[in-house]
Amino acid sequence: MSTTTPAATASTTPPSTDPAPPSRRRALLRRLFAGEGFVALLIVVYVIALSPFAQGMLSERNLLNVLSNFWPLAIIVIGQTFVLVLAGIDLAQTAIINLTNTVGALLVARMLEPTLFQGSVLWNSVIGPEGGPLGGGWPGIVLAVLIVVAIGALLGSLNGLAIARLKMPPFMVTLGTMLLFSAVAVWLTRSENVTGLPEEYIAIGQAQVWGALTVPAIIAVVLGLAAHYILSRTPFGGWLYAAGTSRQAAIISGVPYKRVVVTAYALSGVFATVGGLLYSARLEAGRPTLADDLLLDVIGAAVIGGVSLFGGKGSVVGAALGALFFVVLSNSLNLLNLPFTLVFIVKGLVIVAAALLDVVRTRILGATR
Amino acid sequence: MTRFRALTAGAAALAVLTALTACGTTGGTGGSTAAADQDISVDVSTDLSGKRICFGFSGSETEFWAAGIKSISDSLSAANATVIEHNSNEDPNRQLEQVRDCITQGVDGIIVIPEDGSSANTIIKEANDADIPIGIFNRPPATEDGAAIISVADNRDVAAQTVQYLADEATKLGRPVQPLIMVGNLSDQNAVERRNGFYEIVDANPDLFLTPIEVQTNWDAATGQANLQAAMQANPNVDVLFTSSDFLFPQIQAVLEPLGKWKAVGEEGHVIMGGLDGDNRACGLIETGYVDATGVQDLFSEASALLDALGTAIQDGDSKPDQTIVDPGFALTAANFGDRSEDMWGCVITPPAS
Repeated sequence: MSTTTPAATASTTPPSTDPAPPSRRRALLRRLFAGEGFVALLIVVYVIALSPFAQGMLSERNLLNVLSNFWPLAIIVIGQTFVLVLAGIDLAQTAIINLTNTVGALLVARMLEPTLFQGSVLWNSVIGPEGGPLGGGWPGIVLAVLIVVAIGALLGSLNGLAIARLKMPPFMVTLGTMLLFSAVAVWLTRSENVTGLPEEYIAIGQAQVWGALTVPAIIAVVLGLAAHYILSRTPFGGWLYAAGTSRQAAIISGVPYKRVVVTAYALSGVFATVGGLLYSARLEAGRPTLADDLLLDVIGAAVIGGVSLFGGKGSVVGAALGALFFVVLSNSLNLLNLPFTLVFIVKGLVIVAAALLDVVRTRILGATR
Repeated sequence: MTRFRALTAGAAALAVLTALTACGTTGGTGGSTAAADQDISVDVSTDLSGKRICFGFSGSETEFWAAGIKSISDSLSAANATVIEHNSNEDPNRQLEQVRDCITQGVDGIIVIPEDGSSANTIIKEANDADIPIGIFNRPPATEDGAAIISVADNRDVAAQTVQYLADEATKLGRPVQPLIMVGNLSDQNAVERRNGFYEIVDANPDLFLTPIEVQTNWDAATGQANLQAAMQANPNVDVLFTSSDFLFPQIQAVLEPLGKWKAVGEEGHVIMGGLDGDNRACGLIETGYVDATGVQDLFSEASALLDALGTAIQDGDSKPDQTIVDPGFALTAANFGDRSEDMWGCVITPPAS
């Protein structure tokens, strides 16, 4: 790199009388705030700063814990990225998780206590005392996973259709379906957790292949690569960014806007479903309230990762790094043994800071990806 | 300039965050919202000096849980242990992560009030894999898988004793009566056993009890109140009401009062009522005659037995103690109130803020 840049020459004079040219200053800020570099740096600085105080933070066991917490959240955040890039938001992701993880567990459960479930509308049709219809081995498990992923896609598509066809605001649509889908999950199970899951199903969320390489890791990496390819290498990805930057301009340019919206929300539903299955499998139960507290983590992680709430900006790598930051933050606060209230204060501040950062980024970078 | 003001504000927010984080590294305090001025510790036979105990709980929304959390925390501190408290705010996934983070720190023992029976099993497995002894307070695991010290009340028998008193009172009416049960979250074994105890007495008295009305509460006050309201609308002739937890009495009062059914014993329209837990509110309501009986869990005995067993396991190097300690409990009734009220924790301690 050259050392005789205009800035270096300018340094011999007082800054107040000869500031760096605006374009150069903008370039520096752009480099600092744009994309994934900033988040990666933030994680490294945070870990270095906190590790002397947080016992065991850099131990092998803790790194495995962090990774175990990271994979499902990363998948869900990447799903959210599709709709945030589109200048939308999917508040119903958590409800889709609640519903699909519950249905998945009901389908594969090996036994169900009549006292708990005989009031369910599915009793004696889909489920019974002997459990669900698909708990008898790998073929059944795979089929159950495919069914719930299809349900996730369908629920996401319903959101997308309401937004694209009926021109309803994404916030209101997904807020409403968040309540609706969660209520259906509670209704199906009468608010009971579904236990008695087969080992094969639990393995999806827990099985270790080699060292830190686990089944959730493989699933997350495969989905992450696929999402990255879709966003950065396909026309659909380009349409998403275009529609998120300026809907009218995109429509005039020939972007099939309605189809793009429906597909983005469907993908959000699919990714939420898979992430929820991993959470459910590691807890060894289907839970109709599994993701009730997850929404702020997802949105916060996405925004920290550089996915703009204003649309048109964001990447899969950034979203994943945002999820990693949130997981590391949560992990470190636990290791610091902070009081419960302070943990929430800190997390709240981080989310506010992330929103502020989004504003700053938008002002500095404009609509740059 | 505006951009730099925004940048400065962003940096300031992050600085506050970092400062808050750094300031909080005192460890082991907070979490419980219990009253600070009353010592409700129990004796722990083992000196736990130098030992670090992870204490995870899922929330302190009722007097029983608030008092239990404070008692365990106070007792561990009195035994010179360092307590690492984690409140998961009723999120089982967060509780699992908190326990794993405790294991990372190499704690000597773990005590958990799990969110429910199935998550208790998952957490026990984590502790067993890490060779750290674990105790489960008052909310038993769904299955017997894994090794843990479990301290729990005999919920079925305590409920049965309480409902038997209600049945005895109902018999005096000389006619069949309409019972109603407010059921807790049935993924919690405690709720299942309390319901079983209720039906044990109802089934034993077919000539006395009509078919019971079940009201789901899921251990949630708002849900319980809404469902009870609907049930009373449909069945205004309820004579006997049993709530699976005392903390719902204010909601019951809110529903019964407008219907003219919140009456003391001896008044026309009194609903024969009982609960379970033994909290301060139930104590006051039995004393004033609005409630007839409550099943008492001996909170201090359960805490003491659990801490003794865990302390012994830590001292002996037993990483997988496997033991179930059952608190027999008893029913405090309007009839034995004078003799036994001092045995009920809710009558002798100031209720911690819940």
